[in-house]
Amino acid sequence: METNSNSHSRRHFIKNVAALGAGVVATSANQAVAAPANILSEDRKGVLVDTTVCIGCRNCEWACKKSHDKESGNIEEYSDRSVFKQFRRPSAATYTVVNEFSNPKNPALPINVKVQCMHCDRPACVSACIVGALSKYEDGSTIWDPVKCIGCRYCMVACSFQIPTFDYNKAIEPNINKCDFCNERRKAGKLPACVDICPVEALVFGTRSEIIKIAREKIQRNPERYINHIYGENEVSGTSWVYLAGRNFYELGFPKLGFKHAPGVSEAIQHGIFAYFVPPVMFYSLLGTMMWIYKRREEFNKEAELAEELELQSEPESEVEEL
Amino acid sequence: MKKNVFLFVFFLCLLTSLGIYGFQGGKSATGTQKQEKPNIIVKSRQVIKPDNKNQNKLHAKCTLNCKTCHYCEYPTKKNPCLIYCPRDGMVTVFHTPEECPEVITLDEMSVRFGAVVFSHKIHAEMSQMSNGCQGCHHYNTTGPVLACRKCHEQTRIRKDLNKVDLKGAYHRQCMTCHRQWSHTTDCNFCHISKVPNHKQKIQEKIIQISGKEHPKTVEPNKLVFETSYKKGKFVTFYHEDHIKVFNVACNKCHWDENCITCHDPNNKLTHGAKGKNISIKTKKTFDEHHAPCNNCHKQDHCNVCHNDKELEAWDHFKVTKFELKPHHDKLACTKCHERTSKFQKLNSDCNSCHKNFKPGKFNHNVVALKLSDNHADLACESCHVKSRFKDKPVCKECHDDKEFPKSLPGEKIAKKKK
Ligand code: SF4
Ligand code: SF4
Ligand code: SF4
Repeated sequence: METNSNSHSRRHFIKNVAALGAGVVATSANQAVAAPANILSEDRKGVLVDTTVCIGCRNCEWACKKSHDKESGNIEEYSDRSVFKQFRRPSAATYTVVNEFSNPKNPALPINVKVQCMHCDRPACVSACIVGALSKYEDGSTIWDPVKCIGCRYCMVACSFQIPTFDYNKAIEPNINKCDFCNERRKAGKLPACVDICPVEALVFGTRSEIIKIAREKIQRNPERYINHIYGENEVSGTSWVYLAGRNFYELGFPKLGFKHAPGVSEAIQHGIFAYFVPPVMFYSLLGTMMWIYKRREEFNKEAELAEELELQSEPESEVEEL
Repeated sequence: MKKNVFLFVFFLCLLTSLGIYGFQGGKSATGTQKQEKPNIIVKSRQVIKPDNKNQNKLHAKCTLNCKTCHYCEYPTKKNPCLIYCPRDGMVTVFHTPEECPEVITLDEMSVRFGAVVFSHKIHAEMSQMSNGCQGCHHYNTTGPVLACRKCHEQTRIRKDLNKVDLKGAYHRQCMTCHRQWSHTTDCNFCHISKVPNHKQKIQEKIIQISGKEHPKTVEPNKLVFETSYKKGKFVTFYHEDHIKVFNVACNKCHWDENCITCHDPNNKLTHGAKGKNISIKTKKTFDEHHAPCNNCHKQDHCNVCHNDKELEAWDHFKVTKFELKPHHDKLACTKCHERTSKFQKLNSDCNSCHKNFKPGKFNHNVVALKLSDNHADLACESCHVKSRFKDKPVCKECHDDKEFPKSLPGEKIAKKKK
């Protein structure tokens, strides 16, 4: 199989990898493959984002950048609301962005929605990553490991929320960028930077069960203010970050997703392979060649890692299971 | 080996590219799944009387609706399910804006930004048209008005996440209005930046605000609404008459006024607009539009207010031929007219209302004619034949040569001002 490039064995390989991705999540409780055993721990943390409270000050954007040593500039510049003209997504420059939508109930109070990684309970990015560079932890976070990542960008495709982004400006060792739930700060007993700075406490940090309870009580007490939907409570099997809103979430830039978690997504990818096989082959084989040349040049001294990858290719099943 | 690496990278690229297509397909596939489980929300407005036997006596005697404090149907001691905000109707000590603190300096938590010098009195004055003190001091048990920090904790890492922390509480109160009219979230709009002479700047600001009052609200004389009602496009609203003639208190209609009604820079209804022709576009629902009028006009037909042209001010004399001045113009309409579906036409004879006009009982001075001593003791009917008071009084019964108003049964005096 090593040098065999006929379509049958290629198909076999793809199938194996994709099926494994699905398998990882479906059986993670027993096998503990890409995630620790207790990713659904009762104590796992989350954040409740109340979009009816958020004022769109974008202080969270500033704090997030600042705490992750990114170019953040002066906080005063963040009151500039002209950025809302465009719908933005988290990028390599910022792990979180705030968008603005009109409010039919009161045009003078537009709805602002903060976007970052949802830290899914069953993350599609984790199951998609074949080298285990993304992991789900018991504290609710999904974190990317720069050492393991091979830059394949599979996670970008898998994530239903289009969160992981690629550092296109860096030719050498480009990174996958996404919110890390302020891992360092939380280890030091601090709140995530965005939660800490939010002037109106639109972001409430707590155990997931508690913030869901709070969210439900809020809806119960203010049926006029909130729609009866906690986004992220059930979507893709639940997410650590959950949202409240006064307007239909699908009109606020949230994707309409089922309650099924990652395997649903992985399956779709697997099916897609056969539906759109031919055109990308040419393009990506060219890209692949270029990428391979780059990788060779940069990582000439990392022969050991390459050897590992070689093994992975020849024996995908056993290799992925060990990760 | 090189070949192997190439193959591997190639496969990954392939997967990525196909994944993009697959993902798009997958998304729409999951999008069609309809499996949203609605949360069950109890929306009962039923009033539950607390069980007197096991309750603390005071609690049971409480006249409030249970739902003012508890959000669940059956609060228990173990789970009282207390509402956090707002607890309206609990403030029992009221203050006028003059009694309130004039300026408050908020600096207990300043880390990144400097203090806020808050013009409390001016805000209290403005709040009189929107919920009063309770608009901000919402979570207040019975008793005096409490400061925000009495209830809201100063730390964000805390046990009770249900109640917003102090920083959040302040900003929510301020920003709900402020960003509506200033359209900005610029922190320095309220915060004094942390410059070296920060303390001095605070003092300057305090001096600047002290003694200031909210300018007197300009009341329009009349407003003409152009509506979409076909059978009567125009509603002419005589604002001044409603205050001065009909004695309607400001907050009877303006009880929930938003700051931007006056302070929106995009809104032309700002200070000094009196006498000018103003055109305002409103975005209100049918009910919201009619709510202030329905305080009194609930039972009136649409055409009482709606007309195909602008209406003249309502005048009691023009419509009914009964002059209200000088004795009846300060009375509430319902003092004479019984309020049914429509104001009924009344008999304009004085004694149809004033049943007790008897000699000695009626002070004739109020009609600006002081009766002479020999007339004062006569029965009313001696001059006002058959008690028809609005007709000319008759002198002929006693004096053949005299006639009203050439001769008077007393002397004219200045009209008594009420
Ligand atoms: S939102 Fe995307 S990146 Fe974040 S955990 Fe979920 S799948 Fe992964
Ligand atoms: S949790 Fe941390 S990394 Fe994530 S958006 Fe907030 S500040 Fe950024
Ligand atoms: S800091 Fe808070 S209020 Fe400001 S934009 Fe972020 S979430 Fe919204």
